[in-house]
Amino acid sequence: MFAVYCREFKMVTHDVGIILFFMFLPLAYPIIYSLIYNPELVKDVSMVVVDHDRTALSRELVRKMDACDQAHVIGYATDLGDARRAIDSHKAYAILEIPEGFARKVGRNEASNAVMYCEMSLLLRYRGFLVASTNVMQEFSSELMTENIDRIAPLAETIATGDLLPVHNVSMGNIRNGFDSFIMPGVLILILQQCIVLAVGMAGGAQRESMRLTGYCSDNLAPSVFLTMVAQMLCYLTILVIPIIFMLHYVPLIFRFPMAGDALEIFAFILPMIFASFGLGFAFQSVVTERETVFVLWVATSLVFLLLSGLIWPMYDMLPVWRWLAGICPSTWGVEGFVKMNANGASLSQVSGPYLNLWILAVVWWVLGYCSRRWVVRPALMKLSSK
Amino acid sequence: MKEIRIADRGFRAIMLRSLVQIVRRPVYWTGFFIFPLFMFLFLTTMLEKGLPTRVPAAIVDRDGTSLSREITQNLGGMQMVDLKYTPNSFSEARHLMQKGEIYGYFLIPENFKADLLAGRKPVITFYTNMTYFVPASMLFKTFKATAVYTKAGIVMEVVQSAGVDAESLSSMMMPVNIAARPIGNPQLNYGIYIANSFVPCLLQLMIFLMTAFSLGQELKYGTSRRLMQMADGSIFKALAGKLLPQTVIWWVIVFFMTAWLYRYSHYPMHGSWGWMLLSEFMFVPACQGFALFVVCVLPNLRLSLSVCALIGILSFSIAAFSFPVPSMYPAMGIFSYIVPIRYNFLIYIDQALNGIDVAYSRMWFVAYIIFMLLPFTLLWRLKRDMNNPVYVP
Repeated sequence: MFAVYCREFKMVTHDVGIILFFMFLPLAYPIIYSLIYNPELVKDVSMVVVDHDRTALSRELVRKMDACDQAHVIGYATDLGDARRAIDSHKAYAILEIPEGFARKVGRNEASNAVMYCEMSLLLRYRGFLVASTNVMQEFSSELMTENIDRIAPLAETIATGDLLPVHNVSMGNIRNGFDSFIMPGVLILILQQCIVLAVGMAGGAQRESMRLTGYCSDNLAPSVFLTMVAQMLCYLTILVIPIIFMLHYVPLIFRFPMAGDALEIFAFILPMIFASFGLGFAFQSVVTERETVFVLWVATSLVFLLLSGLIWPMYDMLPVWRWLAGICPSTWGVEGFVKMNANGASLSQVSGPYLNLWILAVVWWVLGYCSRRWVVRPALMKLSSK
Repeated sequence: MKEIRIADRGFRAIMLRSLVQIVRRPVYWTGFFIFPLFMFLFLTTMLEKGLPTRVPAAIVDRDGTSLSREITQNLGGMQMVDLKYTPNSFSEARHLMQKGEIYGYFLIPENFKADLLAGRKPVITFYTNMTYFVPASMLFKTFKATAVYTKAGIVMEVVQSAGVDAESLSSMMMPVNIAARPIGNPQLNYGIYIANSFVPCLLQLMIFLMTAFSLGQELKYGTSRRLMQMADGSIFKALAGKLLPQTVIWWVIVFFMTAWLYRYSHYPMHGSWGWMLLSEFMFVPACQGFALFVVCVLPNLRLSLSVCALIGILSFSIAAFSFPVPSMYPAMGIFSYIVPIRYNFLIYIDQALNGIDVAYSRMWFVAYIIFMLLPFTLLWRLKRDMNNPVYVP
């Protein structure tokens, strides 16, 4: 076994392709991704105003809107058509239309309606405008309401001063509501899994190829398929230790993602996922006949894994067939547990469900990996060597 | 790829050879058909509902009065929320959230009713687990609405008891109202954002990979020399014969994709089918042009495939399907414009979602043409490498 370990080590360190997966993927990818989303929030999105009222009150409304973090008023348009042109030429993403008689209605104690038309190309922009308009609306209304109550019923003043029933909201886990902190912890786990599967798959392809080219085969050294697999995994793990620590601990540290979990517990949790990914990789080897086919066969699955992880679309609302498919992916449980531990501060006992699933998956994928090595890869290699 | 029977020269022979290669290897079937078709099915069925409904949540009622029970009932009656648990304390609720049973909870404090009636201003707090953005946002909206209604009801009661008639009250509660009108997607369907961007982006990835893979194979196994001979030494003829059958396959697939997305899945198509189809048809050679350019720069199967895979996967983020370019760091944002999918996405927004005049999207179509012309700057290099293929394992 040790001999295989050494041999494999030598083979891997001389294979630029695999080193690229082990080094570039886990070290550079998380940084590139995190940098893309690192501004976290969508701020100051442009909007135009069509003000048919032109009163002090309507101007105040616009001023308040502009003062919001999310919106930025780039100017007034004369009519809706003019504003529409600003949207069409991608200069602004929303129109605030204030109707004539806006201030008069407020003065008459009637409800006064303004309309905000939002361009819907991105949901985050719409969300920002919605939050901004809701805040402005509430602030405006409570100010006017206090004034009104003071005027109409001086008796009620004592009760209605300020906010009668304050409502607070607290964002848990991702406390800044940022996009980076939301998507990245899950993506880190996905990168880890994909990195392992791609590297193992590529090593399998390389083995068959080098067999074809040089006749060397690491399988000849050890009689046991299982021990060869273990030796290979240990060899890859030796190389991967630093990248894994970097990815799971230092990337969140650098980019200030939520880090509420206990580092040791997180590593304990991730361990079965790593095993399961290796098993998956060994099983994948059965269809890899050539080093480069791993790209064609595996890269696109990242997207499937991401969507199945429940991060973007909640698990409970998936079709049973997709939930079942999600259940057999190591990344699904890995993402779920990691996110809960890392962002929500769950302990290992609280994620015992995913943890147990990961161990089961590790066993299942290893059995499948063994089968693939024993009955697909090895006979193929034997056939090649006998040629 | 081993020797192929058809030995005659010329364009038609090369096309035939390229087709035979595709038919013979399952890897090509997977790349051309299985992945894209699976993805169409996967994304559209997964996001069929548009928005997740009935988000599991909890309410912590520390007050236990008629008022707090009324709030619980109101909240439970909301469409978006499924009040699964009624834990007794904050920590119990937090525990449930950490375990992933619920996505958020609503907290009514002790002595809520008494404090409220005495004017001691009790605080209602709600907690949402923002690590799950979409369900938590739904929950946030529902919680906020419930809190605002509760507040309005109580203020109304108080003011009414002070002798104000009910007529003028409702307008007094909300004197200023800003109604949001989401144009093009009034149901706030989340599926259209994911499907309409991810499906073409996956196609871009597959086009990149298959183009680089099929050309790289020639270089790796040294069959490119034969290909050049068949094309009488003309790189244009060789590449056209090699890639045109693939282009046609991709055209069939994008046609199917357009029909699948806008016709059968009923995603918004507010503009003209013609421009949208033109965009998809131009998108295919644009992606091939991009991949060909990569192959010209790195005439090696593994390197060009690695770069194509890298860019193809990064495109899902860098092309700004969810996080807008102006909000990115400028140094990252500019990279969004180096991939064809960005223009596909922009045209989709202009033509399908917003249905505006095509003149506003003219520049995006020009971008496609630039991608198609890009490899011509380096074809001389590829010609040299195709004539003298070197494989570095």
